[in-house]
Amino acid sequence: MNGSHVNELASFTADLIYKRRAFMKMKKVLAIALAGAMALSLAACGGGSSSGGSSSGSADAGSADAGAASSGALTINIWDANQQAGIQEICNDWTAQGNPEVKVEVIDWDNYWTLLEAGASGGQLADVFWMHSDYAQIYMENDILLDLTDYIAKDGVDMSIYYPDIAAIYTRSDGKIFALPKDHDTIALLYNKALFDQAGIDYPTDNWTYQDMYEAAKAITEATPDDTYGYALNTSNDQDGWYNYIYSYGGNVVNAEKTDTAIDSPESKAAMEMVRMMLTVATPQAVVAESGTDSLFQSGKVGMITQGSWMINSFYTAENSKDYAWAEIPYFDRNGDGACQKDERWTCYNGLGWAAAANTANPDAAASLIEYLCSKDAQVKQAQLGVTMAGIPGISDDFANAFEGMDVSAFTKVEEDGTLYARPGTRNSGVWQTPMKQAGGFLDAWQAPDDPQAMSDACDRVAKMIRDAIAAE
Amino acid sequence: MKEKKKMTLRAKKEALWGYAFVAPTMLGLIILNFYPAINTVYQSFCKTGDFGKGNTFVGLANYQKAFADPEIWQSLLNTVKYAVIEVPLGVVIALLLAVFLNNNKLKGVSAFRTIFFLPMVCAPAAVAMVWKWLYNQQFGLFNNILHKNIAWISDPKIAWISVGIIGVWSIIGYNMVLFISGLKEIPGDYYEAASIDGATGINQFFNITVPLLSPTTFFIVQTRVIGALTIFDLMFMVMDKTNAALPKVQSTVYVFYKYTFDQGNKGYGAAIVMILVAFIMLVTVVMQRAEKRFVFYN
Repeated sequence: MNGSHVNELASFTADLIYKRRAFMKMKKVLAIALAGAMALSLAACGGGSSSGGSSSGSADAGSADAGAASSGALTINIWDANQQAGIQEICNDWTAQGNPEVKVEVIDWDNYWTLLEAGASGGQLADVFWMHSDYAQIYMENDILLDLTDYIAKDGVDMSIYYPDIAAIYTRSDGKIFALPKDHDTIALLYNKALFDQAGIDYPTDNWTYQDMYEAAKAITEATPDDTYGYALNTSNDQDGWYNYIYSYGGNVVNAEKTDTAIDSPESKAAMEMVRMMLTVATPQAVVAESGTDSLFQSGKVGMITQGSWMINSFYTAENSKDYAWAEIPYFDRNGDGACQKDERWTCYNGLGWAAAANTANPDAAASLIEYLCSKDAQVKQAQLGVTMAGIPGISDDFANAFEGMDVSAFTKVEEDGTLYARPGTRNSGVWQTPMKQAGGFLDAWQAPDDPQAMSDACDRVAKMIRDAIAAE
Repeated sequence: MKEKKKMTLRAKKEALWGYAFVAPTMLGLIILNFYPAINTVYQSFCKTGDFGKGNTFVGLANYQKAFADPEIWQSLLNTVKYAVIEVPLGVVIALLLAVFLNNNKLKGVSAFRTIFFLPMVCAPAAVAMVWKWLYNQQFGLFNNILHKNIAWISDPKIAWISVGIIGVWSIIGYNMVLFISGLKEIPGDYYEAASIDGATGINQFFNITVPLLSPTTFFIVQTRVIGALTIFDLMFMVMDKTNAALPKVQSTVYVFYKYTFDQGNKGYGAAIVMILVAFIMLVTVVMQRAEKRFVFYN
């Protein structure tokens, strides 16, 4: 009887002590958590970008001047991890000339623009970052980017050395310059020799027409198992695929003045008819949408794709890269003379720009870094490292030599014997660029390539889409 | 009438400390939740400019456009269809698992609990990526095991079910943990009494477990319905933009994202999201009414 009371009391006390301890512990945890949260939020506000020591490649950025460097260091944002190491190396050269340290950070394409917009709308931007033709105009019009015009005049940068179309992308209508051309890219035909051998046909040459490509694709599709095809068209990217058909056939997606489209012209329709023919012997669109042309190609399920020069590294380092080879993008023999004239082979080309934030803490250093990155020396180095092709014509060979054992001259030869056209875009291209590839645009025709009328109708619908979008801008 | 008591110095001091302690949370809520919410309402009446500058008031134009847009209604239907898969299956499966795993005599019970809870720990984007490849028509595990050639996520007829299944798989662990804690609250005496009266396990489940668990069930259903109606990441990660099934699967938040971020039309995006908010409020009110009829509190 008595014992049970004692027991109860003991257990009550024990419980109380336990609870008190637990409470103290919780308080402690809470305090630490709160302090941590505050420190975090402070760091987020102040630092903006202090992630990843691994990204700073320089070895001599040691502890000695870490404190001093962090105040003057510049941050670079890019979206392509393939290029990070090379760009860091070039930036280190700049730092070695007595300039601040540079940190290159990669943010993938989808998040890049969301973050950049958030930064531009009242937050912090990286000091220096890539600009793209899809977005340049809106950023320039809203004075988000640092005006480089005066720096260029003061330092005597010769704008005429760059590809004119690319320089034009980053020049505002009032003549002010907001970014310098970083690089350019072209498109070539990538093929898998193993599948050509299996079908017993000749490899692609630099003199192929789209008709030749069709015959080869058909042969491979027929000679190989059911899930393997001669060709696959990347339907979610236009630049490296069907755009080039349209321009080779004499059409356009957006005219030079960005006021209209000729995607419903007879020339464009003839080109899209060729695309339709190709699709009848190509991997079905539904499969492409699920797996992507690059994975299909690298899995040996596709004989040919067209791809841009920015993707070379991914195929150069692939498991079966020995089987892969590049040829120039096919042409369309408009005048029927059996030879390729300059205006019969067209490749889309685009170039990124190096831009700085208008509100950067160190505009002089940012401008100086941009000028260095776009100088001839740095551009040659960029090409030699195989990062990308230069924004300056005439140093293509350095790039072609960067990939030992893989001939990538198809990307540079096209600049001699073909015509380059700038990636078509309007002020707010997002409004039509994605919808035209979806249901209601070309998707229906791509899904049912046996119906020529569907493709022609799709051209008319897309033309209306683009015109409506331009009217709304 | 009672006269208002004057606060003593001590009480004042205490109140001050009280405010000081809730201030961080309040600030967070105001800056991160209330301000954006109010701003969204405002933006839904605007034609928005670039980078949040130069908004012009256009009244109900965005709403008129949204109400006339079949894409919005289709996306709302898609969202409801997703919820219809995720919520009931997620609840029923989780309840069954919880009942089995509530038995501490079962060997390895904590291992099983961990395994079922694991999906909750994974990043949703990573989960979606793995499922995307499982479903892949050419290389996917499912088609390889079944020796079939099913377009799990490209066939508009079944893609919405495939996406719903990912949602169920992701959520059962979380629901299960809530159910287990609910089960622990039910006194063992009820089961003892019932078995003395000759009730079978199944009888006990339907006559004791289900009614006594109804507050937990209601909580889960309500939070999951709201969660399912705001689904975005699964569709975004699993389906390519040129996937033919996308129009029949894309959720309302997906359409909101498309207009707001792909096309930079924040005003229209805000209007879409306001329609969704109104819809969710309606559903919540209906559920609150149902609570009085179906939920049994001790």
